[in-house]
Amino acid sequence: MKIVGSIGEAIDAVNLARRGAKSYCSNFFFAPQKLQGWIAHREVLCEGANGAVLFLRQDRDFWHLYFCATDPVALRCAVAALPMLRTEPVITDVVGQEAALVELLGLLENAGFRRYNRLLRMARTAPPATTTAAALDPRMVTAGKEDCQPILDLLLRSFDCRAEQIPMLYEVEAAVEAGQIWLARCGSALGGLLFHEAQGLTSTLRYWLVAAEYRDQGLGSALMNRYLAECPRVRRFLLWVLADNARTIQKYEHYGFAPEGLVDYVLANDRIGP
Amino acid sequence: MKSLAELLNGIRPEFDFRLSRDFIGDGMLDSFDMVTLVSTLDKTYGISIDGVDIVPEHFQNLDTITTLLHRYGVQP
Repeated sequence: MKIVGSIGEAIDAVNLARRGAKSYCSNFFFAPQKLQGWIAHREVLCEGANGAVLFLRQDRDFWHLYFCATDPVALRCAVAALPMLRTEPVITDVVGQEAALVELLGLLENAGFRRYNRLLRMARTAPPATTTAAALDPRMVTAGKEDCQPILDLLLRSFDCRAEQIPMLYEVEAAVEAGQIWLARCGSALGGLLFHEAQGLTSTLRYWLVAAEYRDQGLGSALMNRYLAECPRVRRFLLWVLADNARTIQKYEHYGFAPEGLVDYVLANDRIGP
Repeated sequence: MKSLAELLNGIRPEFDFRLSRDFIGDGMLDSFDMVTLVSTLDKTYGISIDGVDIVPEHFQNLDTITTLLHRYGVQP
């Protein structure tokens, strides 16, 4: 495999798989800015042949496999011929409506992957709350440069980086620079955070958490209320949540989110532990 | 037959697609919506949109989608 040197190289490779595709299959739904960051940090490898292109992106101590293929047969051949699957820890995922994923899941399971976790996409389409009271809560502040490493430490302590795509430090720094992270401060400590990304009328809630030792103090609801209040233009809020996390799903439902039918199966090869 | 705007509203009812020139940039369609839209267009018009045409620039607004459909012999 070769290192991808530019976003143009990645797009050219994808287009080779797309050309003439009648049953195109992919899990490579990248945001250009995010892909640009990965490429600039030399994290992405690529290999393409016979109607399929595979990308491997290094994420901490494992690789994430992304694919684009003319059809499932081309994908099966490409995955079977990938030596790194037998020597390296690799995660991949498939996203779509549950019923539409059966073939791809079977193909990847036959190639040596097992089901590792499942996420649901939830959406909130009602107009956002108009109250601004939460914005006045003095514990809720916009994250600054000095907060980047503590934010990343808290994310790594709170989430499974294999299933929930935890950002790298440079991605946290970019999000802080863009004002996408709010913190709940408890004295000098970081009690919780809310990390979001806006794109026009849609905002994606990436992470919302309160550290275990600061729960039951209203920090989570203060963060969420501030988020909803400070996005008055947004008409559609999105998030991904682990499907078996009933407690958190219930909280999102309290704020008007509902599952919208998209699921994300995270799959792991045998080099990844349970 | 439903208009293009009506088909889009079937996927994302909360937006008025007639008001935007940049569905992607305005956050009205994401990658998953594009896949759903392609499938809807294929079924509605009896065509098969080539994979190489499934790129954001073809789904930017009602005019660009109409232009794409014209190439497949469809008058939406």
